[in-house]
Amino acid sequence: MQIAGLKYGAPLLNLVEFPVAERLEGNATRDEIQRMLDQYGRIVVKPFFYGGIGKKGKAGLVRVVDNLTDAMKAKEELYFAKHRVGTKTARANGVTFEEFIQSEIEVYFAIDASTIERKSVFTISPFGGVDVETITPDKKRTVWIDPFIGIKSFDLTNNLTDIGCPEKFISPLVQQLPKLWALYDGYGLETIECNPILMKKVENTYVPTVADIKIKFDQDNPAWRRLGLPPLIFQSEVSPFESEINRLRTYQGQSDVLELNPQGTIIPFMFGGGANTAATETLGDHAIFSSDFGGNPPYGKMYEIARIVFKHWFDRANVILIIGGKANNTDIYVTFKGIFDALRDHVAAHGKRPVTVVIGRGGPNLISGMMYAKDILDTLKLPHKMFGFDSSMIEVLEYAKKMDDWWGREGANRYRKAVAR
Amino acid sequence: MRPLVTKPFPYFVGVYSLEELVTRKSRVCVINILGNESRKVTPVSHAYSGGNVVAGVQYGRHGLLETDAGDIPVYHSVRDVMKHGHDFDIGVIYLPPTAVSQAVWELVRFNSALKRIVIVTEKVSTRDSRNIRDICQGAGVDVIGANCLGVANAWDHVRVGGALGGDHPEETLRKGTVAIHSNSGNFTSTIAEYLKVAGFGITTAVSSGKDVYVHFALPEFLYAAQNDTRTKAVALYVEPGGYYEKMALDWIQSRLFGFSKPMVVCVTGRWKKNLERACGHAGAMAGSGSDAESKERWFDEYFGVPVFDPANPRVSKKGVRVASLQHFPDAMRAVYAKIDEKPDFEASGDLSLKLWISDSFFPLPPELDLPVVRAIPPYDQRIQESNRLVGAHFLRQNMRHKSGASWLNPSTQVAELHGVSVLELSRNAFEDNVFFALAKVMPSRAASRALNRVLSALVRMQTVRSDAFDEVRRADCAPNAFFASVAASVGDPPLVRGTRSMTGFLIDLMREHGITEQTEKLPDEAAEKLEAECLTRTVPVVASEWTGLLDAALDAELPASPVTVVVRHVSALRAAGKAHLKQPAEFALAAVLTALFWKPMLEKRISRDVTENALAYLNVIAALARNAVIDPESNSFWKGLAKPGAVSTGSARFTDMLFRILFNRKPAEFEAAELQTLLGLTATNGPGTLSAMGAKESVSARNAIPTAFAGFLTNTGMAHGGNGFEAVEFLIGHFMDSPLRDPGDPKDPADLQALASSAAKSYFKYKQAQKALESPSYKRVPCINHPVFKGKDVNIDPREDFIRKEMAGHGGHNAFLEFYHLLVRELFNEGATENVFCVNVDAVLACVALKLMWTDLREKRMTTRQAQDLVFILFLLGRAVGAAAEIADHRDRGEDMDCRTPQSEVAFVL
Repeated sequence: MQIAGLKYGAPLLNLVEFPVAERLEGNATRDEIQRMLDQYGRIVVKPFFYGGIGKKGKAGLVRVVDNLTDAMKAKEELYFAKHRVGTKTARANGVTFEEFIQSEIEVYFAIDASTIERKSVFTISPFGGVDVETITPDKKRTVWIDPFIGIKSFDLTNNLTDIGCPEKFISPLVQQLPKLWALYDGYGLETIECNPILMKKVENTYVPTVADIKIKFDQDNPAWRRLGLPPLIFQSEVSPFESEINRLRTYQGQSDVLELNPQGTIIPFMFGGGANTAATETLGDHAIFSSDFGGNPPYGKMYEIARIVFKHWFDRANVILIIGGKANNTDIYVTFKGIFDALRDHVAAHGKRPVTVVIGRGGPNLISGMMYAKDILDTLKLPHKMFGFDSSMIEVLEYAKKMDDWWGREGANRYRKAVAR
Repeated sequence: MRPLVTKPFPYFVGVYSLEELVTRKSRVCVINILGNESRKVTPVSHAYSGGNVVAGVQYGRHGLLETDAGDIPVYHSVRDVMKHGHDFDIGVIYLPPTAVSQAVWELVRFNSALKRIVIVTEKVSTRDSRNIRDICQGAGVDVIGANCLGVANAWDHVRVGGALGGDHPEETLRKGTVAIHSNSGNFTSTIAEYLKVAGFGITTAVSSGKDVYVHFALPEFLYAAQNDTRTKAVALYVEPGGYYEKMALDWIQSRLFGFSKPMVVCVTGRWKKNLERACGHAGAMAGSGSDAESKERWFDEYFGVPVFDPANPRVSKKGVRVASLQHFPDAMRAVYAKIDEKPDFEASGDLSLKLWISDSFFPLPPELDLPVVRAIPPYDQRIQESNRLVGAHFLRQNMRHKSGASWLNPSTQVAELHGVSVLELSRNAFEDNVFFALAKVMPSRAASRALNRVLSALVRMQTVRSDAFDEVRRADCAPNAFFASVAASVGDPPLVRGTRSMTGFLIDLMREHGITEQTEKLPDEAAEKLEAECLTRTVPVVASEWTGLLDAALDAELPASPVTVVVRHVSALRAAGKAHLKQPAEFALAAVLTALFWKPMLEKRISRDVTENALAYLNVIAALARNAVIDPESNSFWKGLAKPGAVSTGSARFTDMLFRILFNRKPAEFEAAELQTLLGLTATNGPGTLSAMGAKESVSARNAIPTAFAGFLTNTGMAHGGNGFEAVEFLIGHFMDSPLRDPGDPKDPADLQALASSAAKSYFKYKQAQKALESPSYKRVPCINHPVFKGKDVNIDPREDFIRKEMAGHGGHNAFLEFYHLLVRELFNEGATENVFCVNVDAVLACVALKLMWTDLREKRMTTRQAQDLVFILFLLGRAVGAAAEIADHRDRGEDMDCRTPQSEVAFVL
C-alpha cells in the first residue's frame, strides 16, 4: 500500500499546507503547458506509476524540458513507459508536468518506524536528492520523535546545524517540516519520504517545496481511508485472487494471502505466521501462493476462503497441502471441515480431476479434523497422506514437493487410469 | 519528559531474570475476557496456572467466567476490578486492535502495581503500538506482544496470555533447561514439541509477536535468560524485519551486558526480501539491511561456525544457526554436548515422517510410499474412536427462525431447498425430491429405482384407517387435520425401530472393520459379528416379502457402497442354505437405506441420524400417500393395494403410483409431469412459513419424526395451503357452466376472453358494492397479486412465469391458467385494479390440479368439495418434502425448546 509521486502525494501535502511543486496532469492542454513553461522557464516531465514505484530518475525516466515540443515529445515517450524495479516491471499510467525549481540544496526528509529506537524517527539531510543509503553518516541525522508531541523545532535546528546545513535554510525548514508529523500521525502512514525538498526562493525568503514523495500506508491503521484515495491506485499490487480473499479480511487476520507463482502446482493452506514464512521458503516455486489462515478462523470464513482458493486454483493443482505446526488455539476440526466441505462442493459443481492431498498439522481436535477430511477424500477417491505433529514440518513440505513433482510427471496419468471416476 | 532507563539498556526493562517474567505468584486480569478467543483460552490457562486470573473485564458487563479452577469474576472496567479489591500485576488484552491502546492506558492509569501487559491481539496499527510503548516505558511496564501468544513458565506451570501449548499445555510445556524466544506463536509450541522429542524441556517460552515493534525483543530476553539460573541454552525463531537481533548481538559483543549461554537459532523468510506487502506477520517485511540473509549473517558471524549440518554436527559454545526447524533437536543435542551438559530427560523419538492416516486405494512409487504408523498416544486411541464417527456434525444452536435446509432467496424471491430452487425441484419426480430433502443430493438412477421399491412397498403395508374416512366427512375435517391424525398415529412401529437399530449396526460394522466398496471379502471378525447379530440357522416361520427387496437390490440396483459387501456375504450364506436372516424385513430395509444414504453421509452432507431414521421419514410419506385417496369406494387401484398381487408396483415410479391413488387412473405422460411440477413447486417456501415452523417447533419439543410431521400438518390451513382451495372454487364457479371440455386443448371452443371479461366485470361490480357498504373484508380474487411482485404497470410472478413457460414447452396448454392471465388484464381494463396484477404461483397449483380433475368434475364423478380437498392434499404432499428436510435439519442442529419465545418478547394485550 504505497504511493509515489506528486499526482496523489500533492493532495496529501495540501492537507497540512506543506508547499509542493505546482503540477499539471497528463491531460493538460498545450496552452496550459506553455503557460507553465512561460512562468518557470523549464518543467519536469515524469511518468506516473500506481503503487510505490520509485527510482525513476535513475532509470532516465525524468525529463527536464524548456519548450512545448520537447514537453509533448517527453509526454509521448513516458506516457506508457516501462520501469523495472527489483523483480517487478511496472508500466506507467500517464505523466505529470511539474514546475522546475531552482534550488541551492536538495533536502532529504523522511519519517519512519525505527526498530532500533522502537519509536517513530525522522531522518534529515541537506545533501538529498539521492538514495539516503548513499549519504555518508556525517551528512545525515536520524532523531526519535515524541509520539505525543511530534517533531520538535530544536531537534531540527540542532541537527541541521550539526550536519552543515547552510544557516539561511534552517529557519524555513524548521517552520515547515513539523507539519509532516500531522500527516504521518493522523492518516495511517508508516513511512513518508520527501526527496528532494527543494528550497524555492520567493522574494527574500526560501520556501521548502516537495518535488517528489513516497508514502507507505499501514494496512492495519484504518486512518488512511479518510484520505479517500481511489482504490485504483493500489490495484496493481493485488491480483484478482488476492482481492477476492481480501474481502474476508478482518482484524483477526485468518485470510492473508500473497500470490507467488500462478504457474505453481501446490495449493498451500498455511496456518500461522511462522508456518507461512517457513513453508513459503521451503516450497519455493511449487507454491501458487503464500498464506496465513491461522488465528482460529470460524467455519463460514474457512469455507469461503477454501471456496475461493479452489475456484481459482483447483484446475491446475497437483497437490492440496495443509501445513502448520501444533496449533495453540486454531480448531483443526473446524478448519478442516471448512476446507473439505468446500472441496466436496467444488468437485460436485465442477467435476473431479487428479489431485492429491498432503497434510501436516497438530492442534485441538486434530483427529476429528483428519478423520473428517479422510471420509470426504475417500468418498471423492482422492489420494491423501496425513502426518501428525511429531513429523517435522519441513519434512512434510519436502514430501509434498516430491509428490508434486511425481504427480506432474506421471502420478496424475496413473491416477486417471487406476482410479475409476 | 525524561524517559525511564534501566541499566544496562537505554530504555526501561522491568525483568532481571526470565524466571520472574511470569511466575506462580503472578496475578492476572484479562481484558475482553468473554470475547470469543479468551472465553476458550482463559479457562485452560487459569486451570493450568493454578487459578492465577483474579478478574476479567468485559466492558459494560458484570458476571462470571466459569472454569474448572473456579469462577473468574467479570467487571465492566479496570477501575471496577480495582474497586473490588482484586490486585494484579499482569494485564492480558484480547480486544480488537483499535481498542488495544485504550486498554493499555486504562491498565496503566488505574493499577500502579502493574508490571506487565501481554497483548494477544493481531493487527494493532504501528501507530498504536508506538504509543503503547511510550505509555508503558513511562510507567515502567513491560509489554509482550502484540500479535503474540504470551509467556509460559514450565517450571512454575504457568502460562499468561494466549494459548501456548494449546488445549493441553502440560503435553507441550515440559520442564527443562531451554528458554525459547520466537517471533511465531505457533512455532513457540512447535519448537517446544521438537525439543521434547530429543529430551529437552523448557524453562520459559516467550512468543514475542512479529509486528513492526517487538516490545519484548531479543536484547532484553537474552539479558534475562543470562540471569536465569534454570536456563542453560536458548532456542530462537527469527523472521526478517527489524534490527532487534543485531542490537542484541552487538551489545553482547560490546559487553553492554554479559551473555555466555549457547543459542540455537532458526532464521526464515529469505523469500520475503522482494515483497512489498506483508503476509502473515506484519513486521516480517525486510527493511533495508534487515532481511533474512542479513540476519543469518549476523548470527553466523557471532557463532563463528557455519549453519548446522546434521551430517557433520559442528557447533560452537556460543551456539549455531539451523537452516530448518527440524534441526533444532540435533543442534541442541550437539550444543549441550559442547558445553558438557546432558539433555533434561530421555529422548522420545525423532522428527522423521510418520504417516498417521492414508488412503489405501492408490499405489505410490517406493520413494513416496510410506507405511502408516500408529499415532502417538492418545492420538492412536482417538483415531480408533473416530472411525466410529461418521456423517456430518453440525453446531448445535438456537434454530428458532433459522434453517440449514431452506431459505427464501431474497434476490429471486424463490424458495430454495438445500440450495436448489423449487422451480428446479418441480422438474424432478416426487420420490427423487423426497430423497433430496433428506440426502441433500439427487439420487442416481439405481438409487431412484431402489427408493421406488421401498416407497411402494411401504405404501402397500400401511394400515389404512378406513373408518376414518367416514368420520372425516361427518366431522367436516379439513384434509390437513386428517393427515395430521394419520401422521401422528404412525408412531415408531417395530419395523422402523428394528430398521433403525439394524442400520446402526451395519454402519458400525463397516466403520469398525474398515470395510470399503473395494473390500472383496468380509473380514472374519466382521463376518462373525454379522452372523451373531443378524443370522440364524433356523428357517424363519414366516418368509418375508422384504427379502425380495434385498434380492432386487443386489441386482445392480444399489449404489456402490460397502453395504454390498455385507449383503453379498449374507446372500451367499442364504443361497447355500447355511443361514437365514433373523429379521429379514429390517435387514433388507437397513441394507438398502444404508446403501442409499452412505455416500451423502461420508461426504458429510448428512448426519448419521438421518441415515438411521431414513425409514421413519419415508414411512410417514408413505402413510400420507396411502391416505391421500379422495373417493376410496370407487378407486380400484387404491383398493387393490390392500390385496397382494392385485396391482403391480415393483420399481415403478412412485409419482405414478401417487397419481393413481389421487386420480384413480393411469397418468398420461404429461399428466405425471404436471403432478410432479405441482408437488415440486410446493416443497418449501422457506423456514418462516407456518408449516416449517410447525415442524421445527415440534422437533424443538423433542417429538418423534411422525409427530413433527403432524406439527407441520396442523400448522397448515385455509390461510396456508388453502389458497388453491379458494382458487379452485373460483374457477369452478366461472367454468362449470361454460362449454369447456378439455382444458388441455388449445382449440377447445370455450371463449376464454369472454369468460375473463365477464368475470372481471362481475368482480368489479361486487367490489364497488362492497366499498359502498364500507365492508373492510370483501373477497379478493384468489391467486392474483403478490406483496413483492407488484407496483409495475404489468406485474409478473417469475415463479409462475417459469412454470408457465416450462409447461408450454412441453405442449401443456392450460385453459384455466390462460384465463387467469386474461383476467388480470381485464380487471385492470375495468378499473378494478390499479395495474395489471401478477398471476401468482398459487394459481398454477389450482389450474394444474383443476385441469387434471376437470373431466371427473364435469361428468359429476367428483364433487366441488372433493376437488377442493384434492388441491389441498396436493399442497400437503408437496410440502411434506420440505417438512422432512426441516425436521432432519432441526434434529441435527437445534436444541431442546429452542423455538420457545423468550419471556422478554412476550406481551399481554388488551
